[in-house]
Amino acid sequence: MSDAKSYLGVPVLRPRVGFFELTSCEGCQLQLLNNEATLLDFLDLVEIVNFREGMKESGDNYRIAFVEGAVTRADEVERLREIRRNAEMVIALGSCACFGGVNQLKNRFNDPAWVKREVYGEYPIDSQAAVPLAAVIKVDLEIFGCPVKKEEVERIVTNLVLGKEVKHPKYPVCMECKAHENICLFDLGEPCLGPITRGGCDAWCPSNRLGCWGCRGPAPEANVDELRKIVARKNIPLERLLDRLECFGGFGGEADAVRKELGGLK
Amino acid sequence: MIFKVLAAGELEKFFELLVVNKLIGPVERGPAVDGRLLFDFAEVAEIAELRLDFTQTVHSAKKYLLPYLEETGVFVMEGSDWEKRVDYGAHQPLVLFGLHACDINALNKLDKVLLAEPYPNRFYGAKRAAMFIIGHSCRPTPACFCRSMGADSVRHGCDLFLTPLGDDYFVEIMSSRAFHIMESLDLREPTRRDHKRFQEQAKHRGNLLTAEVDATDLTKILDMEFDSTVWNEWGRRCLSCGTCAQVCPTCYCYGLEEVVALDLAKGAKIRQLYSCNLLDFAEVAGGYNFRPESRTRLKYRYYHKHRGFVEAFEEPLCVGCGRCGTNCLAGITVPEVIASVRRGEVENG
Amino acid sequence: MVELINPGMSLFAKKPRGREEDDLFHKAEITNVYPMTATEKLYQIQIIDPAARRGFLFKPGQFIMLEAPGIGEAPFSISSAPSRLGNIELCIRAVGVLTRFLSRLERGVMIGISGPFGTCFPVEEMVGEDVILLAGGLGIVPMRSPIMSLLENRSRYGRIDVMYGARRPSELLFGYQHAMWRQFDIGLKVIVDRSEPGWTGPVGMITALLAKRLAQGERSRFGNATNAIVCGPPVMFKPICDMLLEAGLSMEKIFVSLERRMHCGRGKCCRCNIGSTYTCLDGPVFDYWSVLNLKEAI
Repeated sequence: MSDAKSYLGVPVLRPRVGFFELTSCEGCQLQLLNNEATLLDFLDLVEIVNFREGMKESGDNYRIAFVEGAVTRADEVERLREIRRNAEMVIALGSCACFGGVNQLKNRFNDPAWVKREVYGEYPIDSQAAVPLAAVIKVDLEIFGCPVKKEEVERIVTNLVLGKEVKHPKYPVCMECKAHENICLFDLGEPCLGPITRGGCDAWCPSNRLGCWGCRGPAPEANVDELRKIVARKNIPLERLLDRLECFGGFGGEADAVRKELGGLK
Repeated sequence: MIFKVLAAGELEKFFELLVVNKLIGPVERGPAVDGRLLFDFAEVAEIAELRLDFTQTVHSAKKYLLPYLEETGVFVMEGSDWEKRVDYGAHQPLVLFGLHACDINALNKLDKVLLAEPYPNRFYGAKRAAMFIIGHSCRPTPACFCRSMGADSVRHGCDLFLTPLGDDYFVEIMSSRAFHIMESLDLREPTRRDHKRFQEQAKHRGNLLTAEVDATDLTKILDMEFDSTVWNEWGRRCLSCGTCAQVCPTCYCYGLEEVVALDLAKGAKIRQLYSCNLLDFAEVAGGYNFRPESRTRLKYRYYHKHRGFVEAFEEPLCVGCGRCGTNCLAGITVPEVIASVRRGEVENG
Repeated sequence: MVELINPGMSLFAKKPRGREEDDLFHKAEITNVYPMTATEKLYQIQIIDPAARRGFLFKPGQFIMLEAPGIGEAPFSISSAPSRLGNIELCIRAVGVLTRFLSRLERGVMIGISGPFGTCFPVEEMVGEDVILLAGGLGIVPMRSPIMSLLENRSRYGRIDVMYGARRPSELLFGYQHAMWRQFDIGLKVIVDRSEPGWTGPVGMITALLAKRLAQGERSRFGNATNAIVCGPPVMFKPICDMLLEAGLSMEKIFVSLERRMHCGRGKCCRCNIGSTYTCLDGPVFDYWSVLNLKEAI
C-alpha cells in the first residue's frame, strides 16, 4: 500500500471505511471482492476496518459506512443507529438497503403472522416489516442494484475519495440497452421495466435477454402510466407487471396502485 | 456518374474481394413476437450471412462513426502535471456493405455538422474517411417516409450503389476506389432495357412508400404552433428514455464526462451519445433545467430536426427511416406528430 | 483481394480540413488564485507554450473551455482584457462538480484550456458612441472583459455607464477595482437587492438604475449612437431590453450574453442549442434582433 496520494496537487486522504450487512444475502459485498484485477487498487484507495466477507479483524473507527441489507429486526435498528453515530457518511449499498429489496416482499402479504408461521414454523424469530435504511436513519448516498455493479461502486468510491460529487444517471435503462443493440424485450413478448427504471447498470439483465425487474428503482420522472398502457397494448397480463413492480421495493407506490386495481391490496 | 451492370454470381466475387477488410452488413436477428423479421448491422465473414433482402435494421450504422461511448482523451497524471493522449479510433478501414439510401443520406447530413469548420470532429472524420460504403436499394416498410424527407435517393456519400435487376445488379460507381476494385469483375455496359428495369424498380419501391409527412412550410408551422396543446399530449406519452435518439441515424447530440481511474494514475474524457429527450439534457451546473418537462424536450427534438436544421442547411435532420417510430414503445411517430401539429389535435389522444 | 489501405487509398484520404483537436487545446498553469467572495475565486492562468500564448487572441465576450483532467470540462467567460496576451483571468463560482474541485486547486497546478470560442461584444463597432453596460449577479464576469477593453481605449468612446446589481453587498465581485474604473470617467452605479451593515449605496433593482440613466439621455442619441450590453440571469433580459427599446435603442445595438449547458464549445454536441442555433458558435453574444427570432431564448 502506497503512502499519501494526491491528484492534480490536491491531497487525497485514504478514508477508513466499514462494510456492514443487515438482512441481506451479502451478495453486494461479494461483488466487490469479485474482480481480483482491481481489488488491490481498491484497497489502496480506502482503508477497510470492517468487512466480514473479506477479513477477520473488525473495528468501529470508520468515516464511511457501506450498509447492505434491509432493516427487519429490532436489533438491526439499534445496530444501524450505532453505525450512523460512528460514521461521517452512511452509504446504502444495494436494493435492500435502498428500497427494502426482495425482503420487503413479505410486507405485501395481508397476514404477517401467517408468513411467519409458513417460514419459521415452530421456531419463530423477531421479524418486523422490512424497511430501507432511510426509514431508520439519514442516508447520505444510495448505490442501487441487486446486486450493485462493482464498476459503479469503484467509480463512486474514486469520486468520494477525490471529493468529486457523485451523480447517478437520470435516464432509464433503455438508453444503455439500446447502446448494446439488444432486441427490445417487448419485441420478444416479454415485459420489461427498462423504460421506467434508473439506468447506470449498463442494461445488465436485458443484455442477457432478461427483462428489467426494476432493481435500481424508478428513474426520476418515470412515466409509469405510459408503461402500463404499453403492457396492456402488448397483451401482457397486468399481474406480470405487478410481479416486477413489487419485486425490489423501488416502485412501492406504483405497485400498490396496480395491486389495488387487481383487488388484492391489504 | 458511371453506370455498369454486374453479372449474376459476380456479387460473391465482389464480396470476397472486400472481406479481407473488416466488413459490416445487415444480418438477421430473428423474428419479433408479431412475426416481423428483425435485422441489424454486424460484422460479416461469409456472404451467406449477408441479408441484402433486409427491410430495415433496428439500429442504424452510426455506431461505426459515433460509438455510444468514446474516449476523446486520456490524461496520464504526474503530480500537478499530466500528459494528454488522443486517439481518433480509426485503426482499420471499414467496409459497410448494403446501406439503404436513407442511411447513406443520414451520413451526408452528419457530415454537414460534424465535419463543419472551424471545429470538425476529428474522431468522426477519421472514421468516415476510412470507410468504403456500398449502397443497396431498399424494401420499404409501412413506417418509411424517406421520400417526404428527400432522402429516398442517393446522389453522393457512398462508393457505389447496387440495385438488383432480376439476377443482375445495376451498379452506380461513385468513387475511383470503387472503380478500381470493380475492374477485375465481369461488368458490362447497361442497355436501354436495363435503364428501363432500373426505373421500374424505383417505381415499385415508390408504390410501397405509404407513410408521408407534409413538409410544406413546416419550419413556419412549427414556429406558429410552438404553444400548441398537441405537445402536451405527446409529452404525456413520452417515456423520456432516449430510444428514438439511439436508433436514429442522424441524432448526434452528446455529453462529455470525465473519469479518474481507480489507481488515480489516469484520467479520461468520455463522450457519451445523449438524447435531447433525457431529463437532464439542458440542465446547467447548479441544477437549473431549461427544459424540465417531457413535452418541451420532445418538442425541442422536432424543432431541431425539422426547423432549426432546415434553416441552417436547407434540409431536415431526418431521413424518414421510421426507426424512431417503430422502436418507440409509446408509439410516437414522426408522421403522426407532424400531422397532429398541422391539425391542432392528436388522433386517439 | 483488396486491402483498402494502400498508397492510392490512404486511410485518411478524405481528411477533413479545419483545426486539429490538439491545436485548440493548450496546457495552462494556474499562476494565482484570489478568493473574491465566499463562493467565487479569481483564477489567473497562463498558457505554457510560448507560441500558443502569443497566438491566443480573444475578443471581449468570448469564452474558453476549461478542463481539469478526469474531473470535468465547462465553458467560462474570460474576465480579463484581450490585450493581456495569453494571461487569462477567470472568475468562477464553486457550484458544480468541476467548479467545486477547481476551488481546491492551488497555484502551480496544470489545467487544460481550449478556445477562444463564440461571438464577442463588438466594441470596435461602438467607437465614437455611448455604451451602457448592465450586469446582474454573475453577469459581471463576462462583462469585465468589455469594461477593461473600453477603459484601455477610453478616449475613443462617448459616455460609458456601468450598472451592476447584486443580491447583497458581500456578493459584489471585482469590488477592489470599482474605484479604479471610476477614475476612467465611467458612470459606475452599483445596487443591491438586500442591504448589509456598512452598505451606503442604493438598494433595489437594476432597472431603477437604468430608468434614471434613460431619463437623462436624448432619444436621438439613444437611437443612433448608444449601445447596450446586458449580462445576467435569464429573468433580467426581458425587462431590461424592453426598457432599452422603449428609450429608442436599436435592436442591433443591444447585445446580450446567453448562458446554456455546453459540453463541447465547438458547435457539435447540441447541448446549448436553441433550435438549431448553437449558443457556443452563434453566441454566447447575440444582438436583440437575433434573440427575438429564437424560441425559448429568454
